[in-house]
Amino acid sequence: MSDAFAGTYYDGAIGRAHAVELRGVGSVHYALVGDGVERSGPIASLRITPRLGRVARTIEFGDGARVLLAHDAPIDAWFPRAGRMEAFVDRLERHAHAIAAAVFVCVTALAVGAFWGIPKAADAVAFRVPPEAERTLGNEVLEQLDQFGLKPTTLDADRRAALAARFAALGHDGAVEYRIEFRNAPGIGANAFALPGGTVVVTDQLIVALDDDREFDAVVAHEIGHQRRRHALRQTLRGSAVAIVAAFFAGDVSSAGAIVIAVPTFLLTSHYSREFEDEADRYAFDLLSKHEESPHWFAEAMRRLEAAQPAHRRGVSSYVSTHPNTLNRIDAADAAARSFATAHPELCPHGVCPGEEADDPDDPDCDDCETDDEAPAAAPARLDCAKDGSE
Amino acid sequence: MEDLIAAEAISPPPPPAWQFAGGPPGPARTEHRFEFSGDAREYFRIWVVNLALSIVTLGIYSAWAKVRSERYFYGNTRLAGEPFEYLAKPWPILKGRLIAVSLFAIYIFAAQLSWKLQLGTALVIALATPWLFVRGCAFRARYSAWRGINFRFALNYGRAYVVYLLLGLPVVLSLGLMYPYVKAMQKKFFVEHHHYGGMPFALRATAGQFYPPYLIAWGVTVAIVFALSVVIGMLTVLVAGSGGEGPPTWFMYAYLVPFYASYFAVWAFLAAALANLVYNHTDLGPHGFRSTLKGQKLLWIYAGNTTAILASAGFMIPWAKVRLARYRAESLVVLSAGNLDDFRAESRADIDATAAEMDGLFDIDIGL
Repeated sequence: MSDAFAGTYYDGAIGRAHAVELRGVGSVHYALVGDGVERSGPIASLRITPRLGRVARTIEFGDGARVLLAHDAPIDAWFPRAGRMEAFVDRLERHAHAIAAAVFVCVTALAVGAFWGIPKAADAVAFRVPPEAERTLGNEVLEQLDQFGLKPTTLDADRRAALAARFAALGHDGAVEYRIEFRNAPGIGANAFALPGGTVVVTDQLIVALDDDREFDAVVAHEIGHQRRRHALRQTLRGSAVAIVAAFFAGDVSSAGAIVIAVPTFLLTSHYSREFEDEADRYAFDLLSKHEESPHWFAEAMRRLEAAQPAHRRGVSSYVSTHPNTLNRIDAADAAARSFATAHPELCPHGVCPGEEADDPDDPDCDDCETDDEAPAAAPARLDCAKDGSE
Repeated sequence: MEDLIAAEAISPPPPPAWQFAGGPPGPARTEHRFEFSGDAREYFRIWVVNLALSIVTLGIYSAWAKVRSERYFYGNTRLAGEPFEYLAKPWPILKGRLIAVSLFAIYIFAAQLSWKLQLGTALVIALATPWLFVRGCAFRARYSAWRGINFRFALNYGRAYVVYLLLGLPVVLSLGLMYPYVKAMQKKFFVEHHHYGGMPFALRATAGQFYPPYLIAWGVTVAIVFALSVVIGMLTVLVAGSGGEGPPTWFMYAYLVPFYASYFAVWAFLAAALANLVYNHTDLGPHGFRSTLKGQKLLWIYAGNTTAILASAGFMIPWAKVRLARYRAESLVVLSAGNLDDFRAESRADIDATAAEMDGLFDIDIGL
């Protein structure tokens, strides 16, 4: 080898830079000369750092001494076996098509991971968690809630027993027994939530806000849907997975502040939770229909709960705000109610099911109500339309 | 809020590992500038290939990715024309990452299972943190070099437990008033256990000097929160209207924005003030340092970086990192007394003893 490379030599003992030239001698030896330095030896005793951008390449002599060469010094022939992987990576970094492919891999992985990988992996774990463990977890959570915010219920025992009986009738499916807990929650307001392991917590404020026990049925049917599909545990595990992935990237972006991590994490977990809400809603519609109750009561419950929010806290911590897209959900419930009315003419003569008549007796204008999906108040009228259309 | 400030202030990003700070400008001192020659486009290629390979290998490659990324930033940072070198090998980093990821996964999972379990895990992590911190500093210092001479971080676990764990107690008992003092002790520990060229770094700043930046930051924060609360209270009434209707949901989220923005601003100014304080009072033998970070400029960079990263779904991260590294390098100067050629490596015995211990089972680098 007759190549000669200009570089900067440091002996590793004193921080002085020596301008030197590194030459090949024969095919297996090197010689380093210049600026008061002279050393030589077998090339096999040298180690070189892989090429990287315009960063100088370091050759280590094994005794702490090193020489820095320009990034593009054509010296790789000296080290045919060294760092082949990183040499390959370096070629990728300098190749436009490889960069495009890498961007594609990242975008795809981001999308697939967020909408498929994390949910699938978390669910796989969730479905392996034994029911007892899940119940223990749920009890822990309830204990925690009882310590920080929930108070003993103030509903009288007869009322509770009556509601619990309705809940049991809906939730009974032979396999798993679900449990309902009543709590006074002035700080939380009208709400109901499904804990891991089969416990549904309903606040006194929710019972007060609702007007009809069939609305109560609709709300707990939704929570039973969460239980049946083990949403609480699945959401927990998905949240953990997102946090772990986010932490992995946090190192890269910490300089730009926590919000860079917080915003995408929040958006993704909200997306998962919306997915679960939709699923629980559909489950509730089916369950109500099976028990010969119209999903109309679900829409009715939603309207009641929204109206029941005190003005200053609406949208803060209400049932409605933890369940966004209230209008869409009411529309979906109304649509399910129309199907129910069609399927059960014996229960809903003229498409109007029991309890629905009083709401809006004179809304005769039905010409465009099939497309009127905005105003929840139009819902009863639409039931009339469904009748007109089907008869 | 305090925690976030602390987290950032403990370990400011590059110039890496060691802390430089400026001494009093003596007449006989020569200025040597730091320069950063990294390029956003060039680093983007490295970053995106790193990320893609890390994804394809399910995270295994991330250790190699880290080495390439660190080498890029070190190698493009020059002092007096000579580049820094990052010499760590990927394997110990991979090991460290596996440990860190499992610890974090346990913590997160525990958090969702039960608060008692979470408390237990947090306690274990808290107990291990000073030890891990010292190991991490030592690892990083040992593999950082300039002019062929490696840095060194002296292992002193006892003192680390005092400043990073025990001193937490007076902070809590004094309702945070002791925080600047403790911060000063931590900085002192961090700076003074670093060695280069056979000499330890020294931090001349007193604990008292850490108080003005914090007191100003706290005062401004209180004033801003008070002013914003008044304004938002009035806006809430306006937006909510008189019909008993609550304020719309978007408003409840929107009002967080000015709070977060002002927090961000105070934090940037505080970070600049603290970095300058530390750099400007650090000596290495006869040499000193001068840092001229501006809170305004730092805020501008952080805000721009955050916006760009969010708007680009993360693809502007390389640009953001390069931009910050460039500003940090530009703001730092070494004031040398005499010749920079005179740094001498420590005696081989010292280095070998440290290295032997470091190459044990837990030779790790925390820092995801």
